Amino acid sequence: MGTMMHVGIDLGTTNSAMASFDGTTLAVVPNALGEMLTPSVVRVDARSTFLVGRRAFRFLETDPANTRGEFKRLMGTAERLGFEAAGKDFLPEELSAHVLGSLLADAEAALGYRPAAAVISTPALFELPQNHATMTAGRLAGLSEVTLIQEPIASAIAAGWRADAEGLWLVYDLGGGTLDVSLLETRDGWLRVVDHGGDNFLGGKDFDNVLTDWAAARLAEETGLPPLSRSNPGHRRALGKLKAACEQAKIDLSRLERTAVVCAEVFSDPAGHPVDADVPVTRQELEGLVSPLLERSLGVCRTLLERNRLSAEAVGRVVFVGGPTLMPALRERVGALFGGRVAEGIDPMTIVARGAALYAATVGLEARPPSQEEAIPTGMVLRVEHPAVTVDTEPFVVGRFLPAQGEEVPLSVQIARLDGGFTSDEAEVSAEGAFVVQVRLERHRQNRFRVSAFGRRRREVALRTPELAIVHGVSIADPPLARSIGVARSDDTVLTYFDKGTPLPARRMAIHRTVQRVPAGSLDDALAIPVVQGEFSRAHLNRLIGTLQIRGGRLKRDLPAGSRVEVTLQLDRSGQLHARADLPEVGESFEDVAHVLVPSASPEILEKELGTAQQRVAAAQRRGFAQANPALVRTMNGAADLLAEARAGLEAARGGDADAAARVHRLLLDLNGALDEAEAELDWPTLQSEADQEIETALYWVGAFGSPAEKQLCESALAAAAEARQHRDAAALDRQIRVLSSLRHAAFSRDPSSVFQVFDWYLGHAGEATDPRQAQALFEKGRKAADRGDETALREINRRLDDLFPGSAEDRQRSFGSGVR
Amino acid sequence: MPVPSPDCENYLRRHLANPFLVLELAPKAGRSELERQGAKLLAMLAAGLAAAGTYATPLGPRERTAEMVREALAELRDPARRLVHEWWAHGLAGRIPTPRRRFPPPPE
Repeated sequence: MGTMMHVGIDLGTTNSAMASFDGTTLAVVPNALGEMLTPSVVRVDARSTFLVGRRAFRFLETDPANTRGEFKRLMGTAERLGFEAAGKDFLPEELSAHVLGSLLADAEAALGYRPAAAVISTPALFELPQNHATMTAGRLAGLSEVTLIQEPIASAIAAGWRADAEGLWLVYDLGGGTLDVSLLETRDGWLRVVDHGGDNFLGGKDFDNVLTDWAAARLAEETGLPPLSRSNPGHRRALGKLKAACEQAKIDLSRLERTAVVCAEVFSDPAGHPVDADVPVTRQELEGLVSPLLERSLGVCRTLLERNRLSAEAVGRVVFVGGPTLMPALRERVGALFGGRVAEGIDPMTIVARGAALYAATVGLEARPPSQEEAIPTGMVLRVEHPAVTVDTEPFVVGRFLPAQGEEVPLSVQIARLDGGFTSDEAEVSAEGAFVVQVRLERHRQNRFRVSAFGRRRREVALRTPELAIVHGVSIADPPLARSIGVARSDDTVLTYFDKGTPLPARRMAIHRTVQRVPAGSLDDALAIPVVQGEFSRAHLNRLIGTLQIRGGRLKRDLPAGSRVEVTLQLDRSGQLHARADLPEVGESFEDVAHVLVPSASPEILEKELGTAQQRVAAAQRRGFAQANPALVRTMNGAADLLAEARAGLEAARGGDADAAARVHRLLLDLNGALDEAEAELDWPTLQSEADQEIETALYWVGAFGSPAEKQLCESALAAAAEARQHRDAAALDRQIRVLSSLRHAAFSRDPSSVFQVFDWYLGHAGEATDPRQAQALFEKGRKAADRGDETALREINRRLDDLFPGSAEDRQRSFGSGVR
Repeated sequence: MPVPSPDCENYLRRHLANPFLVLELAPKAGRSELERQGAKLLAMLAAGLAAAGTYATPLGPRERTAEMVREALAELRDPARRLVHEWWAHGLAGRIPTPRRRFPPPPE
């Protein structure tokens, strides 16, 4: 077996990089110009010729109509980016594929072959649609196998590769377009992501933007002309030129105290004379301008620590990632927060690509394409399984022989390290042709082994692939899911399938019941199973990432309300979601890769949503004043700031800035989440009254019919509810109300008359049944069972009726029209 | 209103996938033991070994997949989540059938 080669790619917003790792040497692959970074810029000319990287970057300011950058920010959206001269437009993943193609061509020049498989990094806060788009880009670039890794994990692997540092680390990754702050823990050589936070719309480009706006204002002062504005599509070209000059000035100010934003012929005045820019700027001025952005990023760090009940002192090491982190003021301020415990000596520009290559080794992703020229090896086929990289010095190697017809399975095996430092005992081969052998590794290096197999009379059996390699080093857990995923139910609750932090790949099945009838053959009727991502218990507050539709047109017979649906969600390592619904009662299966488009809201829809949010903020402010709640009024003032930010973004979105539209969408989601919390606070008095009512009822029923264990649980819930009241913790009180309600239901069901009372309730609410015909039939049966006093039959009828009363129509509508409970 | 049956079934399904059951480890197992056992099971599953395909539960054997092993490892690496699973595993411990002995006892 030859040396394996692993390739990692940092597909960045501004720049991309590639690294290779052969088990010993980790190297950044330079591009054709000898540079370590390739600008993520694509140009398409009138002859439809593609230019990628530095050569395309040169046209970014002079020919923005045919040159595109920063398309990573739009990954996963349906936004097509046009190229005027060629008269063509492309999806962001198609443009990313060209960047990847350029990197792969560079790798071919350096390695002698074009890699067929690679690990590509994505921001920790990328969600499924964006990850899916990244996978597509890899495949379009010709990679037959693509694995994704979250950028902070990649950085941590690269930063910790030779360091056996234990404890907590914080990865501060400020890229061109996004900020990711991740809290990682290393224990016993294992790396685990504890939590992460960030801002999908705070990056180096925002630093450039504030400097650009400042320079535009200075230029307007000097010339007396109106300032350039990002909301004006006519200013786009001039702003592009000014922004490039500002970016250069920002980089210069990382090592100089003063410089100037210099740009020839930024635009023309009304008389047609070209206007040049030469605006002096000092490091101090730049630091003043970006200070609010730095503070915002520190806020993300503090929130992350608070959420995990940690102080900054608990963080042993801070790793900086991304070009903007070279700014001295940034390193100083972030470093100061963590007492100067910064990992030095690691290039923040290529750290992600290096980590991705190391990760490729941990998952055994071989970059070398299978060669057609190599001689076909002979001998018995042996399939061996083992970790490619592990912190364990004594891992297991599992093998299984796959003999051809006529070949006899060996009786025993022995594994020896090629350096002669270890030879295992001879292990028996089981009846199914398998063995499990523990081997010993030398620390911090690649360990190569040879498997020897023996047949009768200890005669050695030739094997097709007798060698294997295991690297001893830092191991990482599987990539964790950034946000929880579940199915939205008709009562606006979520059944969580995968909690945040679940390692990928993951697969889970759960049972649901339908809440409406779907007639066979009906083209109009469909039952929706919405899949949502987020941390809220109420479905509508989460993000819809796909909907599995059970369509009547495909059904051979009617699907009655209350039918069992077995929903399986499967997520691969890259976060791609496959959903399947099995309907055992009608013998049908519906399978789909959930449509994974980020809702690309138009400015009109955004404006409407903004209007609604504005009304909610105003109402919450009024109620806050009325209830004399100053903390809430302050929170709502913060919400009003978010609204103002969203309004400003909306202006830019109207000017054709799709990125700004996505930002407004995100701001609105955050705003709605904050409003929801505020409204919960305002509803506190109502919640208390609900709690009083529930306690009274629960005490009655549990006291009368509860088991000793239920009575004890009731006491605990009452104590917890009292504590929640004391701390004014709405979520905790709500939880205890639910606990008491469950206990009440359990006790109530022991009352011999309860079954009749429940049936009466359904009769009284007959108009709310989702399938009136079925409900009517059950009512008929129920009446007969009640007349003859058949409690068992009536209980079963009640259970079936329950499926027909899935919650209010408003709840269902809010819950993305969910047709299951 | 009666408790809906899907919730009960989903609840049971989750508890029968207790990470200690899936990994066939005692609740007191240490970190290195956990990682080694997880890696071993993953390798055995990848090689298609029948012994790795099922695990014992109080309600009889259940199918074991690589995803379950990975998830169990992740759950037990998190100290807070591990505590919850330990609590459940202690409750289940007396009801888990003793694993089959791989080899017969040595003759006396």
